[in-house]
Amino acid sequence: MKGIHQITISNASVRYEFSLKRNITVIRGDSATGKTTLVEMINEYYESGQESGIELRCDKQCRVLGGRDWKTLLPTIRDSIVFIDEDNEFLPTDEFARAVRESDNYYCLITREGLPNLPYSVEEIYGIRTSGKYAGLRQVYHEFYHIYGNHRPHELVRPEELIVEDSNSGFEFFSGISEGKNYT
Amino acid sequence: MLSIYYGEMPEVIYNPARYFKNTYTDEWITDELSRKMIKDIDKSEVIGPRIIDSPVLGGISPRELSGGVKTLICIYKKPDKIFNASACGDNCAKWLLEIGKVMDVTINLRHIMDFGDGEFTVKILNTGQIIHSMEELIPVAGMIVR
Repeated sequence: MKGIHQITISNASVRYEFSLKRNITVIRGDSATGKTTLVEMINEYYESGQESGIELRCDKQCRVLGGRDWKTLLPTIRDSIVFIDEDNEFLPTDEFARAVRESDNYYCLITREGLPNLPYSVEEIYGIRTSGKYAGLRQVYHEFYHIYGNHRPHELVRPEELIVEDSNSGFEFFSGISEGKNYT
Repeated sequence: MLSIYYGEMPEVIYNPARYFKNTYTDEWITDELSRKMIKDIDKSEVIGPRIIDSPVLGGISPRELSGGVKTLICIYKKPDKIFNASACGDNCAKWLLEIGKVMDVTINLRHIMDFGDGEFTVKILNTGQIIHSMEELIPVAGMIVR
């Protein structure tokens, strides 16, 4: 699965609109911003479709994964967007990271814990905030925002020194791109 | 005092929201501190022990409170248990400090919660240190969690 996938999901009370740009997106931030409500709505739509009273627009199937049987369920989910809420203890495990690497799904993970085994971008860590954008007479509109800002380091950063972890690929990469520049 | 254990902790209640759902009583909701926490975090008004007015969801039961406020109430009402406070956002941090002022509680954190710019007193159980600011806390907690 590749590319950007737009998701719009709403019921009578709330509406969420957001895009997932890479295979792993992390949602964190303050309590009571609607993270669990989003996951519950995704799951209710998956279980009951339009009969749930929820409207969901996305070009891929959206699923919720959780509970003790996740290892059995995950290999059966393909070409989908998988949402996982923060109450799942398996999120930071090696086993889960391996399962993610072996699948072609996109993942939207709700957690404040670091996930050192998973390769996700700082640009894909979001919070949810209520927007002033018009959603409907009774709906509250929710959107994602970048937790760590939306930086363009190639335009702003002019380092004098670059420190890398060791003398292997990281050092070779930065040595290559630093040639002819005044870095040490 | 608020005591914090950083990192994995086998005896912790990892899913406080589920524990709350199966153990809370009416008194947990109508308690004065619980009302204040529900008002501050969820922007919701406790009408009675079984009905809460949410600006987003309308009339809700205590089971529909946010995971963060459920965790705070569990920590406050069950100080003999240890809960995973990484279910709380930074907007819950001041209430963890408030609870720590009125009773001894231990929480488990798996991330670096921001306790704000002010002074506070917490004990880091991993090292035994007493900490008074984020400047002191980050180098200690940052060695254990990300």
